[in-house]
Amino acid sequence: MNTSFDLLFEIAWRFASLSLLAIGGINALLPEIHRVVVEVEGWMTSAEFADLFALAQLAPGPNAMVVSLLGWKVAGIAGAFVATIASCGPSSVVCYFAIRGLERLRNGALRGVLQRALAPVAIGLILASGYTLARAADRTAGAVLLTICGATAVAATRVNPIWILAAAALAGVAGVA
Amino acid sequence: MRAGACGGGSARTPVDMGPEQPEPLPPSPVSRATLFAAFLKIGMLGFGGVMPWARRVLVEERGWLSDREFAELIGMCQVLPGPNVVNLSVILGARWQGAIGSLLALTGILFVPVIAVIVLATFYASVAHSPIARSAIGGASAAAAGLIIGTAFRLIVGARPPMRAVLLAVAVFIAVGIAQAPLLWVLAVAVPFAIAVEWRAAP
Repeated sequence: MNTSFDLLFEIAWRFASLSLLAIGGINALLPEIHRVVVEVEGWMTSAEFADLFALAQLAPGPNAMVVSLLGWKVAGIAGAFVATIASCGPSSVVCYFAIRGLERLRNGALRGVLQRALAPVAIGLILASGYTLARAADRTAGAVLLTICGATAVAATRVNPIWILAAAALAGVAGVA
Repeated sequence: MRAGACGGGSARTPVDMGPEQPEPLPPSPVSRATLFAAFLKIGMLGFGGVMPWARRVLVEERGWLSDREFAELIGMCQVLPGPNVVNLSVILGARWQGAIGSLLALTGILFVPVIAVIVLATFYASVAHSPIARSAIGGASAAAAGLIIGTAFRLIVGARPPMRAVLLAVAVFIAVGIAQAPLLWVLAVAVPFAIAVEWRAAP
């Protein structure tokens, strides 16, 4: 009982401390989350991390759901709720209080500066997330091919990602990956 | 004593309180129940990305926001840490129903997805050892990595950033993705640097 409470506390602390770094959303945090849950805490293998990420994409809801799934993997249903609340809580509180100030900057120069400064940081982080996931998921040439196909489909078409994942799962069953 | 001296009179004669009260806020166009229902729906529908569904429900179906207002809100969410759609829930909940509204919108958008993901994971755990399930999830996880990479490229193309922004994005990618430097340190260097550069470049 005590151990599981300690574990939940550890999950809460780990995810809460990353919450305010999520510039560009949870997808920007994946390399750091990967580093913490795989290398620092040893809660799962790199491949399990990639599988859980894919599973989260198959469910409805925000991208942040990958965090719930990682919490579930470590400590079951309670872990899922703790990880979700911890990762969204601090950023939501900041958002709640910061939005009035930001709205006052509506068309001000500072907001434009912030947006132009943070956009490339967020893009670099998201690219790093894709790279981290690809390194975790791609163990065969076929898997690399599926990654390239997935990236191309998202970059060049407007097809709902759920169909891309479904097609890739079928390709996996057919022996591509 | 002081409180009594200042407020005693108006407390006894409620009629006098009228002019001293702040102007009552106009009634919110969005009730707590409809707020919760709208975000619950966004969360339930958001397969493969929630933002398109958020726009559809908030702008098209409910007519609570114009397209322009929606785009501006997304712009502000991107400046704040945290998932954009989670921040959107906090902002709109607060706008229409205060702190309670934020909590309601957040619960609405997260609750069903958390349950759904737990059900999915439980099912996955029960089939995880079958070779077919392993191959399917292997294919899906390879493509899922591609989805993120494709999203980043789409953002780059959509923003048509100047060369300095592309260089910054590449530097952040190398630091976090390849060198695997801790995120906090990368942000502590990159964010002030980027703000300083853009501040100098601002017209």
